[in-house]
Amino acid sequence: MTLRKAFAVAAVVLAASCGPKEKTVKIAVAVPLTGDMGTEGQGLRRAVEMAVEEANAAKRFPYKLVAAPYDDRADPKEAVNVANLIISDPNVVAVVGHYNSGCAIPAAKVYARAPVAMISPAATNPEVTAQQDSTDWSGPRIVFRVVPTDDVQGSYAAQFAFKSLGKRRMTLLHDKTPYGQGLGEQFKKTFIGLGGKIVSEDGVSVGDKDFKALLTKVRSDASKPEGIYFGGLYTEAGLLLKQMRELGLKEPFAFISGDGSKTPSIFDVAGDAADGAYLSIVGVPVEELPSAKTFVEDYKKRWTGSGEELKPFDHFGYEAAQVIFAAIERAGGPDRTKVIEEIRKTDYTGVLGRTTFDAKGDTLNKIVTMTRARAKDRAFPSVK
Amino acid sequence: MLIQQIVNGLTLGAIYSLIALGYTLVYGILTMINFAHSEVLMLGAFMALGLAALLPAVFGTGLVGLAGMFILSMAGAGLINVIIERLAYRPLRHISRLAPLISAIGVSIILQNGVFLWVSTQSLRFPEPVVIDQVQVFGATVSTLQIIILAAALILMGLLHFFVEHTKLGKAMRACSDDIQTAGLMGINSDYIIALTFFVGGALGGAAGVLYGMNYGSIKYNLGFLPGAKAFTAAVLGGIGNIRGAVLGGFILGFLEVLASGYIPNGAQWRDVIAFTVLIIVLLVRPSGLLGEKIAEKV
Repeated sequence: MTLRKAFAVAAVVLAASCGPKEKTVKIAVAVPLTGDMGTEGQGLRRAVEMAVEEANAAKRFPYKLVAAPYDDRADPKEAVNVANLIISDPNVVAVVGHYNSGCAIPAAKVYARAPVAMISPAATNPEVTAQQDSTDWSGPRIVFRVVPTDDVQGSYAAQFAFKSLGKRRMTLLHDKTPYGQGLGEQFKKTFIGLGGKIVSEDGVSVGDKDFKALLTKVRSDASKPEGIYFGGLYTEAGLLLKQMRELGLKEPFAFISGDGSKTPSIFDVAGDAADGAYLSIVGVPVEELPSAKTFVEDYKKRWTGSGEELKPFDHFGYEAAQVIFAAIERAGGPDRTKVIEEIRKTDYTGVLGRTTFDAKGDTLNKIVTMTRARAKDRAFPSVK
Repeated sequence: MLIQQIVNGLTLGAIYSLIALGYTLVYGILTMINFAHSEVLMLGAFMALGLAALLPAVFGTGLVGLAGMFILSMAGAGLINVIIERLAYRPLRHISRLAPLISAIGVSIILQNGVFLWVSTQSLRFPEPVVIDQVQVFGATVSTLQIIILAAALILMGLLHFFVEHTKLGKAMRACSDDIQTAGLMGINSDYIIALTFFVGGALGGAAGVLYGMNYGSIKYNLGFLPGAKAFTAAVLGGIGNIRGAVLGGFILGFLEVLASGYIPNGAQWRDVIAFTVLIIVLLVRPSGLLGEKIAEKV
């Protein structure tokens, strides 16, 4: 390209961008886009982006919708920064986020100040919505979520361990985060209630790599635990599985964990050692959900060539976006306050089935499924 | 259980010791803390990951492939350390003692973010170059990986000992460590010896990085930070500048962590607190570390 041509092109581009601006309305996607949790966040971003593209293509709104991604790095401090950034952008009408409960809890306080609605596609700690009842909550209720909470998931796992697997003595490990510890406590409560025994309980730190000493203690515990329940995310879960198997803690010694560990990335950390791990998920595996068939196909079509797999929360992200679209339509325009009110009245049937919210903002669609990791094809078929 | 915990402690300690040696070698000769060492460790692991895809074609799999991966990653990490020294430390060496220290922190940040931006922001799976089996030894389950880690670490420490104590270059290194100016007057090319020290330290760090990747099965851009900080602690605990001290400190720290999380109820979340409390107590009693000699401050 000659210099003159380059100038001509630049002039055209400049002229185009200076024209009358088309009105855009943003849906913020506040999730971890980098770091260990980045794979999950990127999946959510792709899901929301796809929902937005579909809405634009169908000309659902008289303006252009944009999915605006914000990276909270799975870090509560960063989540608050990002939340402040979001509320200061007047074009943002609602937020899909955050991924981690630890991030969603402080960020929600910021959104309440705006106020702008936040629908979490993945944060499962009860506190995320329950904090709106506390005395230090200022502002209106703006938190919603399309995923069932840990009290549903943790106690489901306990029943599964006790009834389906016949375990009576379990060791409890958690990563000390609101998500991991919350899940662990719910598990413990239900498991003891059923007549089981928690023989030991330990916290580990996120970022720790070496659990051999801890697992050796579990292995030589005199009260012979029959399995581990771990409340935490896939990095630590993967390392625990790998080191557990290296120490000879194999079947029928069970490893049970929650949805934070149920992602194909666990096979990158643990390799074949992840095989046979029981991982509960909220909802039904998206591949087995008849209502999500088109979504799964569209997603694969839209993102082929990016080398990206469908991540476990993507359909929740997609659904959160759909709930927001419907609310904007009913509100008659992208008005933050009206949209909050309309989301509250949601009765939407889509990918997840029927979604309605209770007074706290939690979805009433509370299904939990137990899956089992299978290393050879990186899959998680459901088990009964 | 005790035997199993000893095995765990030995593996952890071996990795800490190897890293600690890199800190101590550089400190011994320049009285400078190479904060970029943890990144050299990380780069060693990433080089091994890159090589793992290429090497089987050249060396085949099994122990030969493993040795090839080790040697090349060590050489690469050593060279990186030499380049860091040449570009970031040497020009500042005579200015002040603080300048190279800040420069080292800068290098560390640059390398970490470089990998973060250009390679991957996420955990990458580290391949298993050899088939890992478990063997039962006195009721403890020992994986062949742990044996490889311990053997590799001990061999490298042995080689280092031989090099420092029994070769001419090692003698020159010790001379520089004693008094770099006098060594220069005696005809030792101190710049060359310093570069060599960085190479050896970097190579050991690179080896530790490979072992680290093999042990935990996945690597990430920030993997160097935590073991780097722990190994630095180990070097101080043993007496920084002292080679035997670094090894001793590494193993002590490894055992402390294992004992804390293995024998104290709910110790896993307290293990760093316990390990560092012991460190503070040791330093209160012996400020120059366990094997460190009391030397007059160099001016």
